[in-house]
Amino acid sequence: MGIKELEGKALWVRQMVLEATAASRRGHLGGTFSCTDLLVAMYYGSGMKFDPANPRWPDRDRLLVGKGHACLALYAIFLDLDMISRERYDEYGKDGGSLGAQLDVSIPGVEYNTGSLGHVLGVAAGMALAAKLDSRSFRAYALLGDAELYEGSIWEAIIFAGEHGLDKLVGIIDRNRLSVTDVLDDEGLFKNLGAKVRAFDWDYYEIDGHSFPEILGVFKEVRNARKPVMITANTVKGKGISFMEHGIKWHHEVPNESELELARKELGILGQ
Amino acid sequence: MTQMLTSEIDIRDAFFDEVYNIGEKDKDVVFLTDDMDAFSLRRFRRDFPNQFINIGVAEQNMINVAAGLAACGKRVFTYGIASFVTMRCFEQIKVNLASMNLPVTIIGVGPGFSFEFDGPTHHGTQDVAIMRAIPEITIYNLSDISLAARAAHLAYRSNRPVYVRLDKGKFPILSDENESFSDGFRVLKPLEEVNIVSTGFMTPQALMVAAELEKRSAQVGVVDLYRLKPIDEAFFHKVLEPSAEIVTLEESSFAGGMGSIICEILADKGSDVRVRRFAIQDRQFISYGSRGWFHAQNGLDVDSIVDALTRRS
Repeated sequence: MGIKELEGKALWVRQMVLEATAASRRGHLGGTFSCTDLLVAMYYGSGMKFDPANPRWPDRDRLLVGKGHACLALYAIFLDLDMISRERYDEYGKDGGSLGAQLDVSIPGVEYNTGSLGHVLGVAAGMALAAKLDSRSFRAYALLGDAELYEGSIWEAIIFAGEHGLDKLVGIIDRNRLSVTDVLDDEGLFKNLGAKVRAFDWDYYEIDGHSFPEILGVFKEVRNARKPVMITANTVKGKGISFMEHGIKWHHEVPNESELELARKELGILGQ
Repeated sequence: MTQMLTSEIDIRDAFFDEVYNIGEKDKDVVFLTDDMDAFSLRRFRRDFPNQFINIGVAEQNMINVAAGLAACGKRVFTYGIASFVTMRCFEQIKVNLASMNLPVTIIGVGPGFSFEFDGPTHHGTQDVAIMRAIPEITIYNLSDISLAARAAHLAYRSNRPVYVRLDKGKFPILSDENESFSDGFRVLKPLEEVNIVSTGFMTPQALMVAAELEKRSAQVGVVDLYRLKPIDEAFFHKVLEPSAEIVTLEESSFAGGMGSIICEILADKGSDVRVRRFAIQDRQFISYGSRGWFHAQNGLDVDSIVDALTRRS
């Protein structure tokens, strides 16, 4: 898929995410919009080796989503790729429905039961280790929130992967610079993050997480990795809707009537 | 009652020797440790270096990596001190193993007060209570080498996560090779009106209590409840229901251990079988002494139990 088509697909995903959030009155728009382009690149831009018709193909690349609250983007993508039915998609937010506010392994394409931050990098490291032990070709990708890096278990995984040269492991940080209650500037944890990660024997890249050429470029680089790779994708929380961008409240706020109308206009959704 | 024969083999060796055999035959077996050693593991490490990884002092990562390996088809054993490999990484066990039904075996060495001089951090006194709160877990409490050897295979073949409580030292042998270990419990002394249900280290103790009571003309049955979760219906019908009184002996806290499990079963069945629990007081022991000394502090030594039971009747 070319850049224009990827951008079109990303716009469509944002539309779906907005509508599902509005319909169910629940969602994490800010953090979903910040990683939408990354997810579209993974699934449609050959970011990952993946066959939607065969989601349990043993040599598939695995994507583990740490920030599972971005699930609405995944549901839209899975629907589009025929991995889940429209019927299942519509269960989101309903009593007894099989799609919730976090991902679970009953959903084709989902590798991990999300909801608790800080685990996926270690689990992905275990998968990358399995690949290394058996000389298999699959990679394990872990999509992390930047606030998620505060979890110590992330750093246990970083240490471990570096020490064991897990070159099939890729961490992607959705660096949208906002947690639920705070702004995450380049201080403390994030100060010289690249140097810190490299010191643990990882390769480190920094990209614009909303530029498809940059995203696709780094995913291609990753294929030549000799070490585990950490990618900081600089993103904007709420990307795609002007009044949501950089907005801390849009972590899990649901738009009201007039906000929804504005949002739809911006995303090119024709009036309801 | 026949004299108990003490094993020549340390219970850890009995378990790990079988793990060795399993790992030798199945190259998908991977053994992870949080820098915890065992003499009989060294052979495994030496002979199967590609199947042995010291994760380091990082229990959360150990479980995370185990989950990733298991998700890709590996048969994983993790190993460390019981208090650490359950508590430090409890959420990882709950979510990354149990909620996704990944069949990893967690081996915790050091139940009860077996780490005698290391303080409450090393006491395996709450691990049963917390691990049994995970719905999908199977728990084996190893009371002798015959069970230990079998448990390695039961864990290896399980399709759900397993927690194995492994002691240190040489203990009486309680069964022969005819025992199937499929029921989760074994009747070691025929059932009477009053029956002791014991587990782990306390089972040989229970047999000594029973022998002493027999000298005083009081007959009690003894049952080793070695699988603390899940517990089959059969246990209620064969052991609890026909009893007038159940005496529970465990080297775990009163708060939530095996005695609590028995009480829950009886309450749920509306049973009026009496229960008398012997367990570790609900406190953290910042004290240092031998295992026997700790047991005396808690009324868990044979003499104290015999006294308590004789006084009552």
